[in-house]
Amino acid sequence: MPRRAFNGRHARALVIGLDGVPHTLLRDYVDRGYLPETKRILDCGFALRRMDASIPDVSSTSWTSFMTGVNPGEHGIYGFMELEPGSYEMRFPNSADIMAPTLWEIIGRTSCGKRSTLCDRFGAAVDSPMRSVVLNIPQTYPATAINGVLTAGFVCPDLRKGTYPDSCYDYLMSIGYVPDVDSARAVEDRDGFIEELFMALEKRRKAFEHFFENEEWDLFIGVITETDRLHHFFFDGARDAAHPLHGTFISFYRKIDEIIGKLFNRFMELTRGEGLFLTMSDHGFSVVEQTVNVNAYLSKEGFLKKDVTRRYFDMIDTGTRAFAMDPSRIYINLECRYPRGSVSEADRTAVVEELKEKLLSINAPDGTPVIRALYEGSELYSGPHAGDGPDLVALAHEGFDLKAGLQQDRVFSKGVFKGMHTQNDAHCIMSKGLEAGDGLHIEDLAGLILDHLTT
Amino acid sequence: MEERSLHIVIVGHVDHGKSTLVGRLLYDTGSLAPEKYEEIKAASGGEGGSVEFAYVMDHLEEERKRGITIDVAHTFFQTAKRRYVIIDAPGHKEFLKNMITGSSQAEAALLLVDITQGVREQTRRHCCILGLLGIDQVAVLVNKMDVVNYSEEAFDSVKGDIESALSGVGVNPSYIIPVSAIKGDNVADRSPNLGWFKGPTVLEALDSFSSLGMEDKALRFPVQDIYDMDGTSVIVGRVESGSMHRGAEVCVFPEGRTARIREIRKFMADDIEEAATGECIGVCIEDGALRRGQVLTDGATPTRSGSIRANVFWMAGRAWHPEMELVWKGTTQEARARIERILKRFDPASIEVIEKDAEEILPAEVAEVEIRLEKEVVVDRFTEIPEMGRFVLEHLGEPVAGGIII
Amino acid sequence: MDHLTALENKSIFIIREAYYRFRNIAVLWSIGKDSTTLLWHCRKAFFGKIPFPVLHIDTGYKFPEIYRYRDRYAKEWGLDLIVARNEEKIRSGMGPDKGSKLECCTELKTNALKAAIARHGFKAILLGIRRDEHGIRAKERVFSPRDGDFKWNYEDQPAELWDNYKSTTHEEDHYRIHPILHMTELDVWNYVKREEIPIIELYSSKEGKRYRSIGCQPCCSPIESRARTVDEIIEELTTTKTSERAGRAQDKEDAYTMQKLRSLGYM
Repeated sequence: MPRRAFNGRHARALVIGLDGVPHTLLRDYVDRGYLPETKRILDCGFALRRMDASIPDVSSTSWTSFMTGVNPGEHGIYGFMELEPGSYEMRFPNSADIMAPTLWEIIGRTSCGKRSTLCDRFGAAVDSPMRSVVLNIPQTYPATAINGVLTAGFVCPDLRKGTYPDSCYDYLMSIGYVPDVDSARAVEDRDGFIEELFMALEKRRKAFEHFFENEEWDLFIGVITETDRLHHFFFDGARDAAHPLHGTFISFYRKIDEIIGKLFNRFMELTRGEGLFLTMSDHGFSVVEQTVNVNAYLSKEGFLKKDVTRRYFDMIDTGTRAFAMDPSRIYINLECRYPRGSVSEADRTAVVEELKEKLLSINAPDGTPVIRALYEGSELYSGPHAGDGPDLVALAHEGFDLKAGLQQDRVFSKGVFKGMHTQNDAHCIMSKGLEAGDGLHIEDLAGLILDHLTT
Repeated sequence: MEERSLHIVIVGHVDHGKSTLVGRLLYDTGSLAPEKYEEIKAASGGEGGSVEFAYVMDHLEEERKRGITIDVAHTFFQTAKRRYVIIDAPGHKEFLKNMITGSSQAEAALLLVDITQGVREQTRRHCCILGLLGIDQVAVLVNKMDVVNYSEEAFDSVKGDIESALSGVGVNPSYIIPVSAIKGDNVADRSPNLGWFKGPTVLEALDSFSSLGMEDKALRFPVQDIYDMDGTSVIVGRVESGSMHRGAEVCVFPEGRTARIREIRKFMADDIEEAATGECIGVCIEDGALRRGQVLTDGATPTRSGSIRANVFWMAGRAWHPEMELVWKGTTQEARARIERILKRFDPASIEVIEKDAEEILPAEVAEVEIRLEKEVVVDRFTEIPEMGRFVLEHLGEPVAGGIII
Repeated sequence: MDHLTALENKSIFIIREAYYRFRNIAVLWSIGKDSTTLLWHCRKAFFGKIPFPVLHIDTGYKFPEIYRYRDRYAKEWGLDLIVARNEEKIRSGMGPDKGSKLECCTELKTNALKAAIARHGFKAILLGIRRDEHGIRAKERVFSPRDGDFKWNYEDQPAELWDNYKSTTHEEDHYRIHPILHMTELDVWNYVKREEIPIIELYSSKEGKRYRSIGCQPCCSPIESRARTVDEIIEELTTTKTSERAGRAQDKEDAYTMQKLRSLGYM
């Protein structure tokens, strides 16, 4: 079958992903005139919309929901970390664990038998394979052969294995491309870290522009991760003019604004204004007031027993009824599921109810409630892998960052992190003409993109 | 094996295979795991073509951080004769300042020229800087011989170009060697593909170079500081050239009076008769007080002058203009300075004189100048005693130029 | 002149240059092999009597051996020892398990050092960092200016050539001086051997393990090693150049992933 440069109707799509860029901040920056290019785009028929992220609002889950257009019950990614079946041993799911086909697998006809509700809706409409350029989306490591090029985003331990094909890797090597910055030094060497963020952003720009111009593609997705990193450590500087990094924030965003503006212009030129242009984020951000250590709370309330002579989640001891994994996924320690399981299937509902009551009553030392919403897995997830998900997921009020390490013994603590993810403040810039209902959700975007590419 | 390691710098146009050569040198001398070499080779020969040397080092470092590969001594390799340290000297014009900082520590240089590209602008600029820094142990490697089927005619024709280009900047290469870094021809092992070439391999060429500072020269001991050790004045400094002997009579410059060395001091060493070039010592003299910036000498008389003629290379991002206040710094001497006349200025890339009696020096340019100093300093011509023949110019505390005295 | 002597002389020259330029300086002594080597050079530069303070940042979490060693040699070598502690944070229970590890380092190390610099008005601090320690170190200069916030502008550093170091300061600036930047880990051990510098026992193997670098007890873990003497350590370093590879790839990827996740506050 002949390879198409694009499908002839200028129906190409360009998506720029901005990890962790909140709707509210973007709105604010546009209104203050910091982002002239974005402003210009919004002035010519585009809308900046608030969007819900996945639950939990962690990058691996949310990005997988974006690229597959389905919920975790179908795609199977609930976080950066899982336990091996029948054990407390940690494992880190990678691209091979994504159980639903991605956008590029659907349009490239490389889904290898994987199915999903989205695929069923659009698969038949893809008459000939389309090509994608997929740059830096989290959770895509290791790279598989796709119809197009792909380099994986966070976590990417080996750029070579994270990139397809080799020629793409060679190019990335030649420009000194880095998959991620070294966040470990953000605090000790703040300015070195900031320099590195700018450097990494510059490499992204270079790579985006290179593949944009030199590859043939129908779908182009490029993600900038550095915003998330900046936010994690310094989000308190986003709006506070007195913060030493406030100026840095604005110049960093301005740089991104330039990248967006330039790609937008080229894209509109190429598609004669008919391409689908989107920018979007996988979650929002707000300032952290306090870290809330869910496992410390579960210990305190007698749900979790730890044997501190063991390591990581192997610490979970007999007698444990529930434990949490990042960011706020709570699992019942079922007898049928875990080696030291202590809750029978029959008691599960009772434990869940008791947990709900306790969790909703967590108050900060000053009396403010911590938990905004609590969902049972069955409310959130549907599909063949819904059963692999957590029994409960908590969402906190702004300012309370839920964490699920096992080392912390205090329920409330303060860490070096100044920013936390928010679930209801992701953003999307899309054409005003797009019909997307009231409550836009990150799972909706893939459908819009496929709709555009196949009609 | 020689005790001291030789510092080398690899220069040349960014596309001409520097990183491959580094990978090859490390690999062929057993300093690099085979997988790593394959990776570097792939990266260098890939679509993008050029990989900065610094990038290769950074990349190796990234791997090390992740614990995937080797230990850290990547910049080091060794032959049966001695250890070598490769100094990072980036190729691009924007990195000139770093290239100069790196190259200034080198004792020998390898200059790479891609046979399919010949001598390029960067090649010429780098040569010019090597010349100015006084690095005269240079081997030119004509790379990518495999691409031209190891043709002797192709080599001969590029060789002629190289010789004429280099003589223009005062560099006289010790060897011009045909190599293929990617295939390994003539790097560590003599290649049957290049049977017509009778000269040395790259490693043989390196082994033939010598560490500097070995020859017997006149004593130059710039005073670095004076310490009061229990009432005794101890003059500290480093022997920049020649040697210092107990009991010897030395000349104190710029004054020109004489003094006798009573004692040479080092911690945990008694009864020192002699201190050699490069040693940091303390000395006590029999008569008179000294101050930082004075120079103790013997043998050939140094030049004492308030005006010097030099070649300077302008490293600053801003151009020189006549109102610029400068400070001249050479060894431990310091003096306020003014560039009084620019005899000529030239572009190091083309070595063409841009202008005679010029009014300005632009960034990355080289100029022959006359510098007027507020007081007399002690210098030697660079070709005689390099340590005393080179200096830095600062403007508002920032180094803006390096220079050598002609 | 042999390799180690050349390195030693280079270091002494730099130390004396820093002392001349700033006078009000201090040397940071972590008790590890690198900073002890630097201290050794300082003693040589000033004929056994270091004319400026030796600064030790005490986090309260150091190995007991460190305190014993420090106090013994501070006395033996006649050092003007300043111990800097972030008392407030130590009292409030800051530790690697309390806040995050980063926060702990920032408070107990960086801020303690900042406070000591401010209190004593040091214009420059001598540090025993080496170029081969970490990637970013390759870009270090010998005289490295930092502003009041410890900022280091490594993209645009002053040129350094022929031992002429930029040393002008603004009011709030200080300099980091790196005299042994040119030494490698192996050089340091060879030098320790030649000079018979006393080295803390944590570096020697005990029950099959030893420390390759030392700092705070909770955050240091020993490596597998049988090397008990300096000679054996040198032997170990020279023979273990290539590390284990195949078969461990997944472990390595997991280790990398964990480190990355941890740096963002997960786990």
